[in-house]
Amino acid sequence: MGIGALRNRISGSVLGVLAVASTAIGLFLALTLARLSPQTLHWQTDWITFRGQSFPLSFQLDPLSKLMLVVVHGVALLVQLYSIDYMRGDARIGRYFAYLQLFVGAMLGIVLAGNLLILYGFWELVGLASYLLIGFWYHRPSAARAATKAFLMNRIGDAAFLLGILLTYVQTGSVAFGTEPLTTAVGLCLFMGCVAKSAQFPLLTWLPDAMEGPTPVSALLHAATMVAAGIVLLARIHPMLSPDALTVVAVVGTVTALWGGFSALFQLDIKRVLAFSTVSQLGLMVAGMGTGNVSGALFHLLTHACFKAGLFLAAGSVIHAVHTQDMRAMGGLRKALPYTFAAYVVCAAALAGVPLLSGFLSKEVILAGAYWWAGQRGGWAMLVPVGLLLSSVLTAVYMARQLRLVFWGERATTETIPHESGWLMRGPVLLLAVLSVGIWFSLDPLSAHHSPFFAFMQLPVLPEGPAWLAPVSMAIVAAGGWLGFRLREPAMNSKLALASFHYGYLDQLYQALFINPIRKLANFLHRADHRAVDGLVNGLGIGTVLLAHIAAFVDRVGVDGLVNGAGRLAVGVGQLTRSVQGGRVQTYIATAVAVVLFLLWWIL
Amino acid sequence: MPLLSLLIFLPLAGALLVALLPRNQISLYRWVAVAVTGADVVLSGLIYAQFDRAKAGYQLLEQADWITLPMGSLGVASIDYLVGIDGISLPLVLLSAVVMLVGVVSSWNINGRSQAYFALYLLLTGTIMGCFVALDFFLFFLFFEFMLLPMYFLIGLWGGPRREYASIKFFLYTLAGSVLILLVMIGLYLSVMDPVSTAVAAGLIDTPGDMTAEVLRAVQFQLLHGQLNPAQLVHTFDWRYMANGANYLPNSFLSIFGEVSIGGVSSRMLAFWALFIGFAVKLPIVPLHTWLPDAHVEAPTPVSVVLAGVLLKIGGYGFIRVVWGLFPDGGAQYATVLGGLAALTIVYGGLNALAQNDLKKMIAYSSVSHMGFVLLGVASLTAEGVNGAVYQMVSHGVLSAMLFLLTGVLYDRTHDRRIDSYRGLLTPMPRYAALTAVAFFASLGLPGFSGFVGELFTLMGGYQSTYLPGWITAVSVLGIILAAAYFLWTLQRMFFGEIWVRAHADDTTLTLPDLTARERLLLIPLAVFALLLGLFPNLIFSLTNSTVAQWMAKFVVE
Repeated sequence: MGIGALRNRISGSVLGVLAVASTAIGLFLALTLARLSPQTLHWQTDWITFRGQSFPLSFQLDPLSKLMLVVVHGVALLVQLYSIDYMRGDARIGRYFAYLQLFVGAMLGIVLAGNLLILYGFWELVGLASYLLIGFWYHRPSAARAATKAFLMNRIGDAAFLLGILLTYVQTGSVAFGTEPLTTAVGLCLFMGCVAKSAQFPLLTWLPDAMEGPTPVSALLHAATMVAAGIVLLARIHPMLSPDALTVVAVVGTVTALWGGFSALFQLDIKRVLAFSTVSQLGLMVAGMGTGNVSGALFHLLTHACFKAGLFLAAGSVIHAVHTQDMRAMGGLRKALPYTFAAYVVCAAALAGVPLLSGFLSKEVILAGAYWWAGQRGGWAMLVPVGLLLSSVLTAVYMARQLRLVFWGERATTETIPHESGWLMRGPVLLLAVLSVGIWFSLDPLSAHHSPFFAFMQLPVLPEGPAWLAPVSMAIVAAGGWLGFRLREPAMNSKLALASFHYGYLDQLYQALFINPIRKLANFLHRADHRAVDGLVNGLGIGTVLLAHIAAFVDRVGVDGLVNGAGRLAVGVGQLTRSVQGGRVQTYIATAVAVVLFLLWWIL
Repeated sequence: MPLLSLLIFLPLAGALLVALLPRNQISLYRWVAVAVTGADVVLSGLIYAQFDRAKAGYQLLEQADWITLPMGSLGVASIDYLVGIDGISLPLVLLSAVVMLVGVVSSWNINGRSQAYFALYLLLTGTIMGCFVALDFFLFFLFFEFMLLPMYFLIGLWGGPRREYASIKFFLYTLAGSVLILLVMIGLYLSVMDPVSTAVAAGLIDTPGDMTAEVLRAVQFQLLHGQLNPAQLVHTFDWRYMANGANYLPNSFLSIFGEVSIGGVSSRMLAFWALFIGFAVKLPIVPLHTWLPDAHVEAPTPVSVVLAGVLLKIGGYGFIRVVWGLFPDGGAQYATVLGGLAALTIVYGGLNALAQNDLKKMIAYSSVSHMGFVLLGVASLTAEGVNGAVYQMVSHGVLSAMLFLLTGVLYDRTHDRRIDSYRGLLTPMPRYAALTAVAFFASLGLPGFSGFVGELFTLMGGYQSTYLPGWITAVSVLGIILAAAYFLWTLQRMFFGEIWVRAHADDTTLTLPDLTARERLLLIPLAVFALLLGLFPNLIFSLTNSTVAQWMAKFVVE
């Protein structure tokens, strides 16, 4: 649980083992806690106190935090084991494990936080850990850029989130998690925190770039846990969101699910496909939250954490074996990497929603909930479940395409023969694949409605979906999979493929709409500050100098015989002015002292 | 023990001592300076220990009659040596003591004329302390003015290539501000009586010790109804009396009834703005800020540290103590305009920081932006905002000291401060990079460090305020996005990527030494301070709370 920031002097694997040990202890504790009495535990102490107002440091242990404790520790443990092998030989491996521990600590803070302010504190710390890990290979300019971009985009969401917290405080007089809906605007401000952290539309473009970080980091932070923090936040603030705010949440989630799915279609980088798939799946969870299906969204969070972490770690093994992330340079790897292949297929199938696997179950719950929600509202609300179904088609298509590109066909180059990585890397991948099977989550292979998960979470479960939903979504997966397998790769200059590859040109749009204008404005203000504001000051100075010169001239020529004192004063002023150009500090000081003394004399 | 007087006069005596020491004893000057500023740290610690947090008024008062002058029909002029401390000045005294010590240690290798340098530096220390503990307006003004002299020399003699331009600009700017303060000071003086001495002069009591609440009411009643003989009126510069409306003469220039107006504007409102401008120059508030980047760029590192770490805070202190403290009516009436200026300062400073290529200028503009939060907090007239403003000043004092020290480290090695002259500094200087990252993240408001708490509470005050419209705070929030942008962009450009340094572009065997032990000795404690303050904000709030609550009482909406 602690943050073991040890130095590089100890060898990397020793550090890795230490990190693994601490996380293992954490996991053990988490599992013990999870079995503890179902009551919510609170712990709080004074942090900041004003007269009559208090901002306590408070933590709580409820089913949601128990669930997340297990998920975070579990995935972190596997990722750390995997990293010992994956990062072997990196000179800064000590730092790597320290950053990972920082992340784990901060993430635990988020899930245990007992009020909005404490949650925000750890929220930002998680952002710091993400920044450090994305930019871990700082030599690469692309990694440095991606780290900055991730933090900045998150900052935009977080600024709105902070605003929401402040407004909550103003409206309710406290920063506690409320139980009553606030005004829609405040709710949406709070939601903006989730939009950035969980890469929702329109703040989703940092996540694909975050793939610059080491692949185990992508698995832990940018797939399984950190990006899910937004979902945790939504679960916490769900009662505070007004019906209108929830509708916006549902729409944003649906748009994100579609946007991410579409963008994943024609990516060429193995990790970027998975990144956009994460965006899409997070959109699904957010849509679940928006449609009032808190338990369903959290269920999908859990299953997604397993199969997506599995996919990333398996992708890491592939990258480790072939030394490239470009899928065009892969192909035919099913023979060379049989274990990785098997795990990849299982996890990908779970992601696509193939029956008997965990993804099928959790996706059904969200789709059923959305359908029920839309049925209550009627009209355009039906677009939400339809959009989510459509995103399921896209999921099947891009995962099938990825399997085809990476594992089927023939290898593009035959220079080196790729081989499986060691058991330290293979083990976690296989375990995650096993955890992606549906049986662990529900005994009924086709429905999760009686899953012990919901009993554990103590949350209401939305009614089951219509009878046609399961067959239809199965058919959809089959059709999408078939399409993904059969589809010929389009030329990369086709409009559709380019739009997908550039994820709808969002980054280009932001560059033109925000970044360039802001930089132009900054430069303009810089020049204005220099020329206009400062120019005015200098002009005033020069004007005074001129006036003083004139006065000195008049004094010298015109009033020569007049009072000596006045003459001296003018000379003094004249000297003061001359020194501005000539720079005689001594004169200055003398004058300055004289001025001060004069003022003093005057006052007295 | 007269702790507060020692705090002021020890450095002044030290300055004299250094000036009188034999020539060319560089290490002696240094050690005297370290000893004196170190003693000030100890003294401020003692003051901290003796301070009663529950009490709202001034504490540790030391008073001596200084000047008493009968002025015929204008009454009697009385100027006291009066020092004291409360929850608003104490955090700033503590901050100043620490930053001044840091400044001395970072002056170790100052070039040439070290005797004069350290003498001036100690003179500056004494006058700064004087500013924060003086409770008599005249005394304050004396320290305020005399602070300019050493500062002027320190920039003008030990500064960079354009030091003379920068120092005269700094001097004239601040002097222009002080003239406005001076005018209001005189106006206040003519409008306020010292009820105790007046009661004695009017024969109501025999000695000041006999003063009771009843006599006070009586003398204030007589004042209000013009029953006091003008020749017996004792005028005063005492802030304690100036802060109480009952001590104002009816029909006087700054009478609280606002009978006097100039060009249709109440003289009190004019006085409010004159005082505001006088202190806004110091903070600084846009558009009165252009002296700051020049002064910082030209000043040597330790002077920049003192300038940003302490001197700017006198502006914020003046806002709370003088501008709003003596003219609450103006603060309430113009809250929207003032809040708007705060938002402008925050965003304008941030955008300008984004456009800088000189590291020191970037940090200078970030200071401007961060000081905008101080104004926002004060203008909000809420407990959160004012506490937050004091906190933000302390936090920024620590962090800006750190930032300017870090800039100095790089400048010492390459004599180049341009951001685009560096890439990949993380490789040769990992410790330097780590501490820079700490300072940057702390400054951009990462929770856990002090910067976050200051911004949080000033913004919270902005929303709580019944005086400020919501958009002001909403615009101010943009400042925290901009801060992330300019700090992280700088970090990315200077520290990440492959190592490249313009000054050594041809040198393939480039070595940039990492932080020395002395540099670490300066930076790490500051980082720890920022962390401690961030984790335990009550360290500051427990000091400011009671005083701010009392201060707020003036602004209760009826």
